Amino acid sequence: MELNVIGKGLPKVDAWAKVKGKTVYADDFSLPGMLYAKVLRSKYPAARILSIDTSRAKQLPGVHAVLTAKDVPNNNLRAKFGQSTDVGAQFEGLYRVLAEEKVRFLGEPVALVAAESLQIAEEALDLIEVTYEPLPGVFDPVEALKPGAYPVGENESNVVSRFKIRKGDIDAGFAAADVIVENTYHVPFVDHAYLEPESGVAWLDEDGVINIRVSTQVIEHFRTVAEVLGLPQNRVRVIGTWLGGGFGGKEDITVESFLALLVWKTGRPVKLTYTREESLLAHSKRHPFLMKYKTGATKDGRIIALEAELIADAGAYTYLTPWVLLYATVNAAGPYDIPNVKVDSVAVLTNNPFTSANRGFGAIQPNVAYESQVDELARVLGMDPLTIRQKNCLRQGASLATGFTFDRYVALPEVAEKAWQALGPAKESQDKRIRIGRGLAIGMMSYGRLTFLHDSSRSYVKLELDGSAVIRCGVPDLGGGQAQALCQIVAEELGIPIEKIKIYISDTALTPLAGTTTATRQLYMSGNATLKAAREIKERLLTKASTMLNVRKAYLKIENEKIVSLVEPGNFVSLKDVIAQCSSEGIELFCEAQFNAPFTDIPASELITGQTHPDFTFGAYAVEVAVDLETGVVEVQKVVACYDVGKALNVLNVEGQLEGGAIYCLGYALMEELVVDQGRLKTPSFSEYLIPTAADVPDVETILVESGSGLGPYGAKGVGEPACNSIAPAILNAIRDAVGVRITSLPATPEKIVFAMQKKQ
Amino acid sequence: MEIMREITVTVNVNGIPVRAAVSPQESLLDFLRYRAGATDVKCGCNKGDCGTCTVILEDRAVKSCLVLAAQADNRRVWTVRGLEKDPLMQALQESFATHGAVQCGFCTPGMLLTAKNFLEHNPKPDRAEIKEAIAGNLCRCTGYKKIVDAIAAVAASRTGDRA
Amino acid sequence: MGVSGFAYISPSTKEETLTVLSEAGEKGRIVAGSTNVLPDIRARKIAGCILVDISHLRELKGIEIAGDTVTIGSLTTISELLQSAVIAKEAGVLWQACRCFADPLVRNRATIGGNIANASPAADGVVPLLALEATVNVESKARGKRAIPLDEFFTGPGKSVLEPGELITSVSFAKTSAMKSAFIKFGLRKAMAISLASIGMVVGFNGDTIARVSIALGALAPTPVRARETEKYLAGKKIDDEIIARASELIKTEVNPISDVRASRDYRQHLTGVLFRRAIEAALA
Repeated sequence: MELNVIGKGLPKVDAWAKVKGKTVYADDFSLPGMLYAKVLRSKYPAARILSIDTSRAKQLPGVHAVLTAKDVPNNNLRAKFGQSTDVGAQFEGLYRVLAEEKVRFLGEPVALVAAESLQIAEEALDLIEVTYEPLPGVFDPVEALKPGAYPVGENESNVVSRFKIRKGDIDAGFAAADVIVENTYHVPFVDHAYLEPESGVAWLDEDGVINIRVSTQVIEHFRTVAEVLGLPQNRVRVIGTWLGGGFGGKEDITVESFLALLVWKTGRPVKLTYTREESLLAHSKRHPFLMKYKTGATKDGRIIALEAELIADAGAYTYLTPWVLLYATVNAAGPYDIPNVKVDSVAVLTNNPFTSANRGFGAIQPNVAYESQVDELARVLGMDPLTIRQKNCLRQGASLATGFTFDRYVALPEVAEKAWQALGPAKESQDKRIRIGRGLAIGMMSYGRLTFLHDSSRSYVKLELDGSAVIRCGVPDLGGGQAQALCQIVAEELGIPIEKIKIYISDTALTPLAGTTTATRQLYMSGNATLKAAREIKERLLTKASTMLNVRKAYLKIENEKIVSLVEPGNFVSLKDVIAQCSSEGIELFCEAQFNAPFTDIPASELITGQTHPDFTFGAYAVEVAVDLETGVVEVQKVVACYDVGKALNVLNVEGQLEGGAIYCLGYALMEELVVDQGRLKTPSFSEYLIPTAADVPDVETILVESGSGLGPYGAKGVGEPACNSIAPAILNAIRDAVGVRITSLPATPEKIVFAMQKKQ
Repeated sequence: MEIMREITVTVNVNGIPVRAAVSPQESLLDFLRYRAGATDVKCGCNKGDCGTCTVILEDRAVKSCLVLAAQADNRRVWTVRGLEKDPLMQALQESFATHGAVQCGFCTPGMLLTAKNFLEHNPKPDRAEIKEAIAGNLCRCTGYKKIVDAIAAVAASRTGDRA
Repeated sequence: MGVSGFAYISPSTKEETLTVLSEAGEKGRIVAGSTNVLPDIRARKIAGCILVDISHLRELKGIEIAGDTVTIGSLTTISELLQSAVIAKEAGVLWQACRCFADPLVRNRATIGGNIANASPAADGVVPLLALEATVNVESKARGKRAIPLDEFFTGPGKSVLEPGELITSVSFAKTSAMKSAFIKFGLRKAMAISLASIGMVVGFNGDTIARVSIALGALAPTPVRARETEKYLAGKKIDDEIIARASELIKTEVNPISDVRASRDYRQHLTGVLFRRAIEAALA
């Protein structure tokens, strides 16, 4: 198929407003009479609330509301996080708006204030008197699992969920193995560190509808907010803004319920924006995992047994933990065809910050472990990193240990080879204090939601009489080009320039619900919905043009705002004329389409089996590092990302996802860690929680493989989250190659490397 | 000279004098966002750690969260919105858009101002110098490559070199 | 915002400033580049004080040379130091330190006087000045002018001998154009990083023996410190690998670093020896 717009690296439709400083982000919006909100947060990670006295705060002039748990109509919801169909108890959890009785983590919201100014709101927080009785708490997930451990929540057990995989005979597998590698890996809490902190403005409109204009990845939270307030769902509207980054951190509710409560109580518009410190303290984090791995192979390099035990720290509340753990479990053995696999995973509550979605969603953590293991096996066996991976990785027709079968192209051997070779000839360091090393890692990650969630998306496309087009789609745009992709699809299908398309996104009242911008699902889901709508309109246009031109529909094409006969290019009719004709005949020039992802049944037990995901994206990272033997400093000199993206709808955006994903997890590998000590955050600001600056990063080289085998429009696959996979283990493997030490806990700080080298000597 | 609990300042924001009474500890960032309506200046950390609040104060790019509003009295401040007609800014804006240097866009206004101020002082930088120059402006989305590409392309076009 | 009780005054001359500071006493808080004061206010580390804004006092700006002495006005920014040919030539150690100070935007605001007054053990502007054996010139109504050796200036993290009412007017040191210099900063990131350890070194040679050396260390003790024992050991020695090796062990005994979220005491101690070797090699190069 000849494509005119798809594939081009066009500037994003949102780029122009952004470079001119005209984009109105959540905090940039204000209303007359608006109040400012602040949240009072727990000072203890584990405590009983004995009393809360808000009387002094309420008396402060300029304060309009001070709310605690008792003011919330429904403070405790049995939340079915992210479910559109009921998939069972293992995936439910408590969503508590404000702390009551027992505080579970330091930073947990305890009270809300709305006042005439931010300054008064802050003063009011100081006047709320909360009496706590500190409780011991539990901060280590291993401790939290023990019988008799401090109960974090209301239940006796701290276990959130457990999964397992069983394939073959694990004991026989290890018995047959010539070499076995065993290691325990640890990955820490990290933050999304988007530059826009959580923010929103809400107001009550003349019809009594609560409108919440908020930076969110999920406008569907309007339902939860309605439940909190005890209102019908059609009385809460969420308008999503262009996000200043999300990465999974704006997937759970942030400020929405607080805003709605304060608006409901005061009748005034209210703004709530978190400070950076508040964001680091109190929004979701990526799960720390403790991962015990045992991997066995035969002399000829065939991996025949893998046993893994994963323990995830869920922090203080459930949120998306069960789903993250499920992803981690499915990914635990990696993209390898291994006959004997045993995986046991558990997620456990602690009095640490709560953990939930973060770009990579559970696929990232085991990827660090299994790719380190494969590298160690290669070393023991004297194989090179590419060969061992190519020998063992999945291919089309093969299955995961869960039974998931890959019926589409599996690009792993290809991407691994291309990435590895792109590093070019190796060079020795001229400096005797510097050692150069190289590392390779491959990975897979799903795009689209779990198949038993019955995912769907809707999009509306309409042609105007002047030949311009409108798209309405409830897709939140995180900056990854979510809206742009839909515009390019419509421009392609309807033969109009992208400048003539206006897209409206992310509004529960005005745009068809498209589902969440999470799970790397929007191009796949909303892309297909938009494609379906555009093709439906195209069909009507071609049908009409066929009559007008007296040419069979099959011999017509639509391009450059014309419908042209393929046989006689001089025989054409302008799109405008066809539109006019359709309009006068009452032919609909709009279409709202729904795309339903294929779905499967809910897994019957903890044992994970079957086609749990729609499809996977495969990629590889090859890196070259220079390690300073004396300081342990790692300089990443080269990064190559090679991914099968299916089809790049916009080359610039796809490259941008890979480049950004690489650096996002270069930080994970080398410098990022939220240090939480006994429930207390020791890295409270961006002065301590470091993410890479421009001076810290190499220019990421990207290689796009376009197999056309994806489930998205034009054969595209999702890349947003998969882009993060594999760079961290590739860096660890390169460090191992350079200086001979295996770092098993992230981040691989200079200190860890130096002391590991000293220990080895 | 007197000790004041409130200071009446006049800050020239994008060519327009903005007069307001501010508290002693009010930052230039808050002044710009809340009093001058310059919401193109972002607040990412309010501590000098992210660079999203970058503005040009007289002739220097600075982090406006680290400047007292009172210190900007009778001084000129430029934000992205005020530089619509500035040829260098226009070139950078075009370059950022066409190179894919904009993802979420939250760092973009600050990044553009830093880049403009840098290129004015150093018209012919190499990539390493560009990276050093923008190291006070965090970006979480792009991995920086396309931002550096965009700035390098403008530098090259202005000095007649090929990008 | 959110913290009331601040007042503001903007004296128009140095003399007025001294009067204001004298009257304000403990409540006076000098504001220059304001890169430290605003975060401190937000973190509620300071409250209820009079912000004495001196940022516009031209008489405290600029770099002067008189004979063998270089004097830097306390309001000179780090960027201005970086652009100064005088500093590059006569105070190489300081110039090198300015290159790794915070980030380019902060360098446009942060002043050398503010960096001294802030008294951080990790201050990247202070460590080179200590190696330059600089003198801090302060003035007040009560005590007149005082010239305080930088070496005696700091008393602990965030603490100095500066008394209420005193203003740092300048910092001065002897030219070092005839000497070799090196500054090395070790941070966990290439920019916007607080030093984990830093070293500034100024070495004078007599032929191939060390005639004079001063070594200053940052973030390795409660204040920036001189490595006096190591200096003594090196003085008069002809540099070879063994001397360097011994000195790099010795210098580790002169530091007293902390363990914090950035690094352990052991690692900082280890870095001390490494940075020393690299600094002396850089100075020799």
